[in-house]
Amino acid sequence: MPVVKAVTCPVCGSLCDDIELTIQEGKVVKVKNGCAMCESKFLGYNGEHRILKPLIRKNGEFVKTSVKEAVKRAAEILAEANYPVLYGWSSTNCEATRVGIELAEEVGGVIDNTSVICHGPSILSVQDVGIPSCTLGQIRHRADLVIYWGSDPWSAHPRHIERYTAFSQGRFENSAWRGYLTKIKASQVRKKIESAVRRVFLKEAPSIPPLIRREPPPSIFREGRKLVIIDVRRTRSAQMADYFIQVEPNRDYELLQAFRALIRDEELEVDQVAGVPVEYLEEVADVMIRCNFGVLFFGVGLTMSSGKLRNIDAALSLIRDLNMRTKFVIMPMRGHFNVTGANTVSTWQTGYPYAVDFSLGYPRYNPGETSVVDVLLRKESDAALVIASDPVANFPRKAVEHLVKNPLIVIDPHMNATAQMADVVFPSAFVGIEACGTAYRMDHVPLPLKKVVEPPRGVLTDEEILRRILSEVKKMRKKRQVEVAA
Amino acid sequence: MIKLTPAKEFQFPINAECINPDVLSGKTREEIEKLKIWEGNKPKKIGELFKVEENRTENPLEKEAAITIHGNVSKARRIGADMKNGEIVILGDVGMHLGEEMKGGKITVHGNVDSWAGSMMKNGTIEIHGNAGNYLGAPYRGCSEGMHGGKIIVNGNVGTEAGAHMKKGIIKIYGSAGQFVGFRMCDGTIYIQKDAEPRAGACMTSGKIVIGGFLESVLPSFTIDSIKGKVKIEENEVAEGPFYLFLGDRVEHGDGKLYVFKTKNPHLSHYEKYL
Ligand code: SF4
Repeated sequence: MPVVKAVTCPVCGSLCDDIELTIQEGKVVKVKNGCAMCESKFLGYNGEHRILKPLIRKNGEFVKTSVKEAVKRAAEILAEANYPVLYGWSSTNCEATRVGIELAEEVGGVIDNTSVICHGPSILSVQDVGIPSCTLGQIRHRADLVIYWGSDPWSAHPRHIERYTAFSQGRFENSAWRGYLTKIKASQVRKKIESAVRRVFLKEAPSIPPLIRREPPPSIFREGRKLVIIDVRRTRSAQMADYFIQVEPNRDYELLQAFRALIRDEELEVDQVAGVPVEYLEEVADVMIRCNFGVLFFGVGLTMSSGKLRNIDAALSLIRDLNMRTKFVIMPMRGHFNVTGANTVSTWQTGYPYAVDFSLGYPRYNPGETSVVDVLLRKESDAALVIASDPVANFPRKAVEHLVKNPLIVIDPHMNATAQMADVVFPSAFVGIEACGTAYRMDHVPLPLKKVVEPPRGVLTDEEILRRILSEVKKMRKKRQVEVAA
Repeated sequence: MIKLTPAKEFQFPINAECINPDVLSGKTREEIEKLKIWEGNKPKKIGELFKVEENRTENPLEKEAAITIHGNVSKARRIGADMKNGEIVILGDVGMHLGEEMKGGKITVHGNVDSWAGSMMKNGTIEIHGNAGNYLGAPYRGCSEGMHGGKIIVNGNVGTEAGAHMKKGIIKIYGSAGQFVGFRMCDGTIYIQKDAEPRAGACMTSGKIVIGGFLESVLPSFTIDSIKGKVKIEENEVAEGPFYLFLGDRVEHGDGKLYVFKTKNPHLSHYEKYL
């Protein structure tokens, strides 16, 4: 059986490129090295919701049609629209996004990717403050302090800790894995003894331990890699951390500003910040200053909590301040496998990473004004193209109502919630499984996506579908210009 | 005087930069009707979207104005952008970027205003009798040049980040303000008669914010300085205290002044032990 090595996993922003797939009769039968999310994608992508034929809605019902017909209908919708939106892009390859931007320019629409609902605020703040960052390889080999803020890598990016941070074996830093095993075992034994003592000798009912320990654990002062988790609840990742700070919901900004003040050796005139005692924060601030190479990863828990872009503004400023005392970097934990690519392509094509408005013929950018969710909430668009994304399932209800009221084109391998409401549906090949291309990892490293199996007969790639729509739109517009001139 | 009335209810964004006294003055009705204006991605003429009339009126609200707009123009953006002289009176709601980078003159709105009103304004006055959206007087994304002068008066409430990156001028809000009022402000004055959401004055380096109502919390990076009896807002306007005076934002080495009304904020009394 042929085994394909060094396959890039098209699921999350960690973009692990060491996956090995066994192929049998044109199907993936075995996945090696991947996490559970990766396995279920490679083994289960060809499920019952797969679409195999283009569909057009006629009298409220979907009818199967040819690609040519569907392309014509889609082009008509887009060419006639006064303010179309083109949304999605983070689960397809860079090549498709490039064609998408050309299409948006041609039809004078708003093109936006899924950053608008995850790391859009991060991008805005990066533009305001700047970002000291590096590649994940650097972090793997050098970082001795790893902080995750508002992110649960163990669940959302399962191999992130193992491949790039605390549990990876770097050239200059050792994996902290062994230490964690010992620690977990020791703490379990200790808990058992403690509860037995309480039950047998003190006759107490078993109680739940308090969530915030008042004292930092001794491990924080040991040498070697340390893992700190800051989150609103005790996540899976938090259980493995050397240090867990439980911040009150929506108070991240206060906590970040407190850290900034402490790092500048300022005294705070309060006893606690965001529910955490100040002495406790002083200890952690000390650990931050004393590390040799620190890294802060932040997730949507920080970008989407109250304060949004200003939380990130404070986090970036914190790292800037820390760099006056030691070496520190910061990186957003990007969710979709190619959302970084969508931002990158958009930036080199238009100058702006997301929420680009072409309605005046040139690119304009002002999230809040030109971002798709806001456009939909204000009911301004009159047509939409959605690719490799499911906004009906995750946009606010009012935005969805407006989205489905107008003509909607969907390009997706699956019959998802958005496709079910669409007027034109194109089935597409799975990028990274049935189509090759380029994707950007969360640290902006481009990696090749492999084509390991053939797509079903007649199913085209995202890029090819967009190219056909684009050329049809161009044809229509030329025809109209000739008519107007005549 | 020119009177504009929307010819229909707008759905698409209207890019209405040309609705500006400097552009319209001296033009006849026919000339104005031919001016270019964008509706969504289609170039149109003002005459297609608005009914244009020349009229005289004795209505004291609009007597002096060069342009009056009657009706809902909440989709029209950049009205009065860059204007230098004259007055615009709007009887209805108006869209984003009203009076962006305006250098003089006056805009009066008898209705609500969307975000980025008075964005980066240099001089002149904007008076809003309804509510204002987010980013009042604040610059566009990625720009750190806020309001450089002039005056904005809002009789209702405002959204988040009013007066962000402000360098000079005054914003008076007679209602409540959202989060991050005066974010990264460098100078100027912001007065809020009622309540403010938390994070007032975050990262400010100088300038003055006066909050006359409730403020849930002061950022930990501010330090208390004193209690003041009254505070000057502008010429001939003084707010009666007592006010807690906080200085900050220390994370930016700032010495901005944040005045918070004492009587309405008993939960801040624990700061008094540092006085
Ligand atoms: S961590 Fe992410 S990229 Fe890596 S194998 Fe798992 S799902 Fe794929």
